[in-house]
Amino acid sequence: MTGYRGFALRRGGQAVVVVLLAYVFTFWVISVLPGDPVTTTLRNPQNGFTEEEIARIVSYYGLDRPVLVQLLESLGRFLTGDLGVSLRSNRSVADMIGEVLPSTLVLAASSLAIAVVLSFLVAFGVQYLPKPLSTALRSVPSLFLSVPGFLIGLLLIQVFSFDLGLFRAIDTDGPVATFFAALTLGIWVSAQIAEVLIANLDHEAAQDYAGVARSRGLGQVRLLLRHLLKPSALPVVTVLALMIGEVLGGAVITEAVFGRTGIGSLVERSVASQDLPVLQAVVTLAAVVFVVVNLLADLVYPLLDPRVTLQRRPDVGAAA
Amino acid sequence: MKRALKAAIGILATVLVATACGGGAAQSAASGTPRDGGDLTFLIDSLGDTWIPNNSAISSFQGHIWGHVTDKLVYVDENGEASPWIAESWEQNPEATEFTLHLRQGVTFSDGTPVDAAAVVANLDMWSRGDATRGINPIGLFPKTYRSSQAVDPATVTVSFSSPTLGFIPTLGYHGSILISPKSLALPAEQQADLSNDIGSGPYVVESWKDDDSVVLRKRPDYDWAPAALSHQGPARIDSITYKLVGEQQVRTSSVQSNQADVAYNPSPKELETFKAQGFQVAAPRYLGFVNGFAINTKVAPFDDVKVRQALQHGIDRDQILSTVYTPDWLAAQSFIQSNVPGATDHSTTFAHDAAKAAALLDEAGWAPGPDGVRTKNGTPLALTLYPNPYLATSKAVDELIAQQLRGLGFQVDIQAYDVVTYGQRVKVGGETVPAYEITRSFIDAGTVGGVLTDANKGENWFGLGQTDAKLTDLATSIAGASDPTARDAQLDELQGYVLDQGYFVPITQIVQRLYLQSPRVHDVTYNGIAYANYYTAWIGDPA
Repeated sequence: MTGYRGFALRRGGQAVVVVLLAYVFTFWVISVLPGDPVTTTLRNPQNGFTEEEIARIVSYYGLDRPVLVQLLESLGRFLTGDLGVSLRSNRSVADMIGEVLPSTLVLAASSLAIAVVLSFLVAFGVQYLPKPLSTALRSVPSLFLSVPGFLIGLLLIQVFSFDLGLFRAIDTDGPVATFFAALTLGIWVSAQIAEVLIANLDHEAAQDYAGVARSRGLGQVRLLLRHLLKPSALPVVTVLALMIGEVLGGAVITEAVFGRTGIGSLVERSVASQDLPVLQAVVTLAAVVFVVVNLLADLVYPLLDPRVTLQRRPDVGAAA
Repeated sequence: MKRALKAAIGILATVLVATACGGGAAQSAASGTPRDGGDLTFLIDSLGDTWIPNNSAISSFQGHIWGHVTDKLVYVDENGEASPWIAESWEQNPEATEFTLHLRQGVTFSDGTPVDAAAVVANLDMWSRGDATRGINPIGLFPKTYRSSQAVDPATVTVSFSSPTLGFIPTLGYHGSILISPKSLALPAEQQADLSNDIGSGPYVVESWKDDDSVVLRKRPDYDWAPAALSHQGPARIDSITYKLVGEQQVRTSSVQSNQADVAYNPSPKELETFKAQGFQVAAPRYLGFVNGFAINTKVAPFDDVKVRQALQHGIDRDQILSTVYTPDWLAAQSFIQSNVPGATDHSTTFAHDAAKAAALLDEAGWAPGPDGVRTKNGTPLALTLYPNPYLATSKAVDELIAQQLRGLGFQVDIQAYDVVTYGQRVKVGGETVPAYEITRSFIDAGTVGGVLTDANKGENWFGLGQTDAKLTDLATSIAGASDPTARDAQLDELQGYVLDQGYFVPITQIVQRLYLQSPRVHDVTYNGIAYANYYTAWIGDPA
């Protein structure tokens, strides 16, 4: 048990360092860029502010102080759990993220679900279907991967909303609109899962044990479900964990195309206006998600494949 | 990526136009009798940044919402005509330094607070000074000569200025000068940033809002203080207005075309004619302000030479720009201010397109054509860098065309395009590397013109002249500080002639910055002096 606890502590420590580094790194990157949202807004020629007025407002936000002082202050705030106030909207960053997070979570979860279903369908099809069809199906993941997500999104909106009238394109959070947004993202994610699944099923199907099972008269379906699926699903867990990060990234484009307000659109707005407090919070959130998901994947691994723990720690393997 | 996206959208647009034509286009029904009820959906490309009324008011997006949620003291129509609103009448002393406003009685904010003299004084003070301790900005364009205001009685306010300020009354109709409940004004910035806390006295109230997503307005049944200049009085007719943010231009316009929404903001100018042919309404109201054009920095060689500046004026073919980049909804410039500004006069002959004249002027100035087509003088090429203004969507296309036209004359033209953030940092009016600053700016009173051209009274010094040009300084200063409107109009005419004659400003076209694509079922929309659509007067008829 001590080995496992040490492992968990080490991983936990690494996670905290990763999150802090993400926070500092974002700050550094944004500070290197010229400009800040406050001065940009003030410098809009429509506003007609004098230089004195601009200097006074900039100093209110503390943006005229040395970068290091700003970083320390921001870090101190972060460590006490305060995410600060957006420089663009003047609202609390925690509120802004809390408002958009549910929409992105719904999109991410449903697109992952769609992706898993799609990729298993494709992978099973490749195994079951007669030769010409299954060969054609093998190229589907590459096709999914190479068609840009925004194109799929725009086509889905055009056909199912504007032509068929199945949903209002502007009712962005309705169930049908959400389904099509999730499908846009899911098609792209499914490609990578399907690719891994197909390769692994091929590999397992060529193993001796599969041949033995077949020779003893086991049907294709039973063979697949009983023997091939479990070992083939193992790498899928790894890919899925990585995909959660990709889904958050891909959400930017999908949210833009479908006009959804979520983490993606918040990032887009904040990057465009260099809204540092919001960006720091979102990057940190992403780092937390990545760390947690990968930790979970590591924990699920031994459950799916006992060899993982046995090889690494033969003494505690039996206990686990 | 962006290019690919645009290409894809272009393809989709073609598909879409084909389907829409196939479906048979609806024709706009003849205006019937106005009726109550209905809900309007307005698709907008952004909802701007903060909702703190003072910090946000200049932004072009939030103006749509403020225009329905709040009232102003003075109404300014699309011709710049000021008329009574919450201020029923006003007087001023002959020097235009003291003003008295008489307020309409019985007006209330939607939180029940009366819109009385005390509330107006609180607003005037907030517009002019902001509150530095709370991070609340002043309103940039509010006259900097403001001294103080007093509530004489609940319906009378006196306002005093340190020098003549003719622009005060029109400024009260500008989009920054919105009346907000004193209770909201007293809130800390973080709470004012929540739109639900910003209480106005307008015909609509905020029912709900979600950052960067939507704002839903509901009609206020007891509203009864609309400007007399409007065609409608009493409560608004349309029950609710939903402003929904849709970033993709194509999704906005297609939603209106497929009857999923009523208005799409900022459709592509290129498609306006197609929409009209399909029976949709298109509005391209002009704002009051400067035309789109270049303020020339006379400190940057060779633009210190009046002949080179004039060559620039005559070298630009404005008709080609209008027909290539724009549609017939855009007008040619007649001066350096829009022709609907009171006091604007027609000086279009001064800077008319004449390539031969431009070439002759360059010859006279000593710029001889070189072997590669670029003119040179003492070995220096005739170079010009243009910086498209990111606040005007068409600016880059216009500049590319101008570059092409000027290259034909022997200019060596570079175009340097920046995004809004970088532009704000690097491109400044009068900057050393900026020979021609592209202007796009609205104002409500021509007095603004006098304030920006030179550096007198902390002016913006558009032409880099400081106060060295005595005639310009005289004219500009007396316009900025004028107390008699008639005398000011004469000076304004002289100023326009002089600035254009000297080639200080090179006009391109008049500006339409706000475009609306509208369903034929929406009738009687009003546009104000800053080209915002006002749905207070509008009503929704039968679906087409």
